[in-house]
Amino acid sequence: MSAVLQNLVNQPYKHGFVTDIESDVAPRGLSEETILMISAKKQEPEWLLDFRLKAYRQWLTMVEPAWPNVKYPPIDFQEISYYAAPKPKKKLSSMDEVDPELLRTFEKLGVPMHERAALAGVAVDVIFDSVSVTTTYKHKLAEVGIIFGSISEAVHEHPELVKKYLGSVVPVGDNFYAALNSAVFTDGSFCFIPKGVKCPMDLSTYFRINTEGSGQFERTLIIAEEGASVSYLEGCTAPRFDTNQLHAAVVELIALDNADIKYSTVQNWYAGDESGVGGIYNFVTKRGLCRGVNSRISWTQVETGSAITWKYPSCVLLGDNSVGEFYSVAVTNHHQQADTGTKMIHIGRNTRSTIVSKGISAGLSNNSYRGLVKVAPSAEGARNYSQCDSMLIGDRCSANTFPYIQVRNNRAKVEHEASTSKIGEDQLFLFAQRGIGAEEAVSMIINGFCKDVFQQLPMEFAVEATKLLGFKLEGSVG
Amino acid sequence: MNAIAAAGYLESLLAGQPHLPAASPALGWINELRAEAVDRVGELTVPSLRDEDWRFTDISQLTRLSFQRAQALTPLLPADIERFHIAEASNRLVFVDGLYAPRLSSIAADSGVVVTHLTEGGAEHAALIEAHLGRHANFGNNVFAALNTAFLQDAALILVPRNTTVSGPLHVLFIATQAGVASYPRCLLVAETGSAVTLIEDYVALQEAAYFTDAVTEISVADDAQVSHVRVQREGTQGFHIANCAVSLARASRYHSVSVALGARLSRYNLNVLQTGEGAECSVDGLALIASRQLADTHTYIDHARPFGISRQLHKCIVGGAAHAVFNGKIMVRPGAQRTDSAQSSRNLLLSDKAYIDTQPQLEIFADDVKCTHGATVGQLDNEEVFYLTSRGLSDDVARKLLTYAFGAEIIERIPVASLRQQLAQTVLAQTSGQP
Repeated sequence: MSAVLQNLVNQPYKHGFVTDIESDVAPRGLSEETILMISAKKQEPEWLLDFRLKAYRQWLTMVEPAWPNVKYPPIDFQEISYYAAPKPKKKLSSMDEVDPELLRTFEKLGVPMHERAALAGVAVDVIFDSVSVTTTYKHKLAEVGIIFGSISEAVHEHPELVKKYLGSVVPVGDNFYAALNSAVFTDGSFCFIPKGVKCPMDLSTYFRINTEGSGQFERTLIIAEEGASVSYLEGCTAPRFDTNQLHAAVVELIALDNADIKYSTVQNWYAGDESGVGGIYNFVTKRGLCRGVNSRISWTQVETGSAITWKYPSCVLLGDNSVGEFYSVAVTNHHQQADTGTKMIHIGRNTRSTIVSKGISAGLSNNSYRGLVKVAPSAEGARNYSQCDSMLIGDRCSANTFPYIQVRNNRAKVEHEASTSKIGEDQLFLFAQRGIGAEEAVSMIINGFCKDVFQQLPMEFAVEATKLLGFKLEGSVG
Repeated sequence: MNAIAAAGYLESLLAGQPHLPAASPALGWINELRAEAVDRVGELTVPSLRDEDWRFTDISQLTRLSFQRAQALTPLLPADIERFHIAEASNRLVFVDGLYAPRLSSIAADSGVVVTHLTEGGAEHAALIEAHLGRHANFGNNVFAALNTAFLQDAALILVPRNTTVSGPLHVLFIATQAGVASYPRCLLVAETGSAVTLIEDYVALQEAAYFTDAVTEISVADDAQVSHVRVQREGTQGFHIANCAVSLARASRYHSVSVALGARLSRYNLNVLQTGEGAECSVDGLALIASRQLADTHTYIDHARPFGISRQLHKCIVGGAAHAVFNGKIMVRPGAQRTDSAQSSRNLLLSDKAYIDTQPQLEIFADDVKCTHGATVGQLDNEEVFYLTSRGLSDDVARKLLTYAFGAEIIERIPVASLRQQLAQTVLAQTSGQP
């Protein structure tokens, strides 16, 4: 059986090509000049430059966190290029003017950049290296008052909104990588759903790193006003390089009274080769603030890529009766390392949270769940349920669980469960009896293992995630 | 707390160390071990909330006070400690403020087990002692274990020969009688191949002022041997109790431990169980029952280093008043430790608004053919259960107390010594009834 599994877990990365496109790449290194340069390139207002500089100065005083259960050589922050953008020919007014090379890239990745009627309404904001290339369905969304597009545009078109919410959930000095992101972020998506509007289609951002030696620092800000609701998807890929690249993003979600935000990620950055050379360092800060009563924020993530993942999508449950959810599948293979989980901070009364985390480790990889459930003294009647399951494929990988539970209210109820298992010979035998081969059986077992999470994904993504796990863990038998 | 103050603190604790009498010639290596420990204390610092291992337990209230080693044995009469006697115990070793009290101890002549202490019986069993004492409890990174080792003098020694089953538990009683004293209780239990023994480690106080107990226990369980370890921490209300226990389990050995933490203003218990042989089995249960402003911290580490190991753990905390309970339970499954079967559960009951809990079960798994689960809950009494009892005519108050008692009793009932079980059940009942 182990031979079958060995074959199953070794499948090449399919998004590892490089697009040959003329790029505008900033020289490597980070200083106040770099920040001034980025700010000038984007013609940013004064307040945003101040925001960046404040973050940069704070960043200088901070040290890299050493607590995650991951190992990597020290990162030289002066060796990274903080800005890379495909050279624009001129200001784009429609899709047709986008560089055909770019279009082909995203066609190849299966990301629809054309607003074709056949593609059942998903609006996409496409980010290539440091900048947003295009956003589809913008006008249709504007009809109902939804603002969706790149954050650089939003800074110019809706400065009051950006200024009000940027950094309100993840403060500039929140942590080392968040501070770095706040200083040098180049683009990202901005989404504003006004009062009472249910977003008529799924919104999506597709991130692509293309330039070698550049880091990607994107910033996403989603605001759902009273009674609004939105489902947002994020996908990522990168070409295959032998050097490690840093991706340090910040995502902030704000849900006001009765608002509902669903944020789904399929992360498939380049993970390095079998011997652990290359790959993306994915050091991301994602946090949602349930500010209003009865608000709800739901994170769903399928983490298959990246050499190292370090990411804890969190919910701060401030409003009474607010709900936080976290559904995660993290798959690691070869030399990949993942230290991921969530934080649920219960502050309001009767706040509820659910955590379902599935970790699959194979090869020589290291997969850790790290989570915090914190119930403040004010969180009367708070409720949490957490479940973390791990599956190990092979005897040289590891699976770890580090839940932190801190309860300061005696009318709260917190439950945590974890288990570890493997695909048993007897399970495969049962499948074989019914005429199902080992490969298909493993894939079915893994899909069953992850079902609780996949169910939470929007349709298109669920299909993609299932396929992705297939890519990751399937292969030819013998 | 700044580093300078902390260093001064450790120096003040070490002040009495040079005056320790040298170990007997047969155990000359102990002098070196002590010196090594003194050096290590010099290199280490007092843990603070910045240390991951101590992030929930603030010991600054301990470091603000100064303690000295006891100079003289407090004269106690057997009647003074009679209430601590355990009827079933055939052997009793009594230490007062860390010093051996021969007149209070009673050692049965023919129980087949060597029960002695280091200064008296050390020479006779020098080789065995050298093989075990200080070998299991590592002090390289643990300032309190290092301090204890620096003051290693009157250790309780229990050596169970091959294939001997000791009838009746062995009772090791540590009594605190003097204020401002730091005591360094030390206990070594060696259970040789095929032997079986029950050890009761008991910490009590006859006074209410502040004092400091820094204990280390080492237990070595050889192939096919079986050790049952009951640990009762009922220190005085102003006492500080920091203890380390290291257990080493050889092939097919069994270790059952029940630890109960009731007393002390601040207590910390580190229990490390290492399975060095295949098919070792352990159960590690604990209860912390605290109220007012007490803090009870339990850290356990079960290390499955070899295949076919089994571990079971149930840890419960009942927290009232403005007390704070901490639990950290780590299960490690090393590469190659296939077929490990481990289950861990942390259950916590919060009785008041100001009580709080930090619990952290952890799994680290490096082998694929294993079965490991853990669970943690924090909550309060189930209203339906309360309703059920009130429907049977109990008052709401009595129903709650009964349920609280029952919650704790699940651990108490696992104590294999009937009289101690009853005694503790009474204590738990009294304490849960005392809750607001």
